[in-house]
Amino acid sequence: MKNIKTSILLTLFVALTTLLSSFVYQDAAADRLIGVWEPSNGRARVKVEKIGSKYYGKIVWLKEPIDPNTKEPKTDKNNPDPGLQNVPLKGYRNLKDFVYAGNNEWNEGTIYDPLNGSTYSCTIKMTDKNTLEIRGYIGVSALGRTDIWKRLEVKTKK
Amino acid sequence: MNFNPSLLNKSQIKTGLFIAFFAVNVHLNAQVDTANKSQNPPTEEEDFSQYDEVGFAETGAKRYCSPKIEGLSPQKLIGIGYDFQAAYKMNLDTFNNNANTGSAHEYNVKNSTGIRFNCNIPVISKTNLVWQMGANYWETGYNIQEQSIPVGYVANPVATELSKNGLRTMGLNTTIFKPFNETRFLLFQGSADLSGDYDLKLMPAKYLKYSAALVYGVRPSERKQWGVGLARTYRVGELNYIPIVMFNYTDAQNKWGSEILFPARAHVRRTINSRNMIFAGYELEGQSYRMYRNTAYRAEDLEIRRGEIRLRLVYECSLKDFIWLSVQGGYRINYRYDVDRLKNGNEIYRAFGLLSDEPYVMTNSLTNPLYFNISINLVSP
Repeated sequence: MKNIKTSILLTLFVALTTLLSSFVYQDAAADRLIGVWEPSNGRARVKVEKIGSKYYGKIVWLKEPIDPNTKEPKTDKNNPDPGLQNVPLKGYRNLKDFVYAGNNEWNEGTIYDPLNGSTYSCTIKMTDKNTLEIRGYIGVSALGRTDIWKRLEVKTKK
Repeated sequence: MNFNPSLLNKSQIKTGLFIAFFAVNVHLNAQVDTANKSQNPPTEEEDFSQYDEVGFAETGAKRYCSPKIEGLSPQKLIGIGYDFQAAYKMNLDTFNNNANTGSAHEYNVKNSTGIRFNCNIPVISKTNLVWQMGANYWETGYNIQEQSIPVGYVANPVATELSKNGLRTMGLNTTIFKPFNETRFLLFQGSADLSGDYDLKLMPAKYLKYSAALVYGVRPSERKQWGVGLARTYRVGELNYIPIVMFNYTDAQNKWGSEILFPARAHVRRTINSRNMIFAGYELEGQSYRMYRNTAYRAEDLEIRRGEIRLRLVYECSLKDFIWLSVQGGYRINYRYDVDRLKNGNEIYRAFGLLSDEPYVMTNSLTNPLYFNISINLVSP
């Protein structure tokens, strides 16, 4: 009788441990997206963070940070919502709501292009630990464009 | 050994259920928190200067220039449009084989109209290579006014053929952009077109016409790219090999710019905002159209060399998100509308008269009408 109780508790423990460790493993795999990335055009740098279980990216650096018209830091002037056109581009979240789907892919998110004020459906695929394939598309994935982003190492200031 | 739950006492069951409930609840709570935060994720103050000095994590990673510059009009993925040329006169030469009888020569064209479909889909979009494939279908129908034929004359066979069947072009094209580094690139465009009085059931692939262009370019800044190259083209109606110059530019205020691939097209761009643009300029349009539907002309190996210059104003705007409207109006100037006979099945390469002065079978002239074009387009991210 005691052996049966012990084995039931052991089975329960193993099942729970497996369940918890699978969450931890999934989180570790998903968190590889966190970091600072540079799109292929080199015009910006984007920092990806995790908020809750979703991933967000914000613009942290611009090659040309000053608006030549206003001589002030660039804002989201192409946003179709006039109320958001004065929001500074630095710090702007252009990647939103990405969820890790396994197999090195994050989906269900969107990407915003400040150059034209458009938001696209987006999937992210990590081809190696330092390279992302970011595919923005309209409706179906075939109607889209893929950009390659490279991971950056931020040099610590002394 | 069989498992019997009744053998567990109450406190053991409670303990087990509590652990299981706790584990599942932690996971569910995390999802709820995320859902709440995702609507409006917090942004904290951050020292952005720490991102000024960075390096690639991957050794040997390179930056490459993009195919686009800032402020350029959006690339059209799929477009369907309608082209309308107002009334004009068509003065057609006597057809060689009918020289003895003579043929009516002046025709009033009430209008020329047709639909135009284009698509251009990215196949590979890598940092170091962009490859796109496209297809196009353009048609031109001729609404020619009926007229009485003078005694001793016959209806001009070209006018009859145009009125009955019209002209159309159907083709495939490809674009390859290969950057070498942050400023230098190579651009290749190629197309294979079937142009003639065909219909969709009658498309003789052996009469495909091949065009290509190769440009070596420089992109010195985010707002300028230029290049030089060579093109094999039918844009002036017959085959030519010509040098080309590319110059795309946007000023610092993002108000004015140019989009030029000379001599094919050249436009000055005025950007009202990122969703409204006006262009002024021209485009050379043309093709070599096989006269195929009528077996008599087919046997003669005849092709119409059609080339025209479209001086125009173009307005493009976003109707909703990625759906763009393009409206253009202007003046269609006839450059060539002559009929040529192939020599042993081969095109005569005249090189603007430098290599051959072989006469055309018919030398025709068209007056120049106003024209109008409207299209709806799905634009690229």
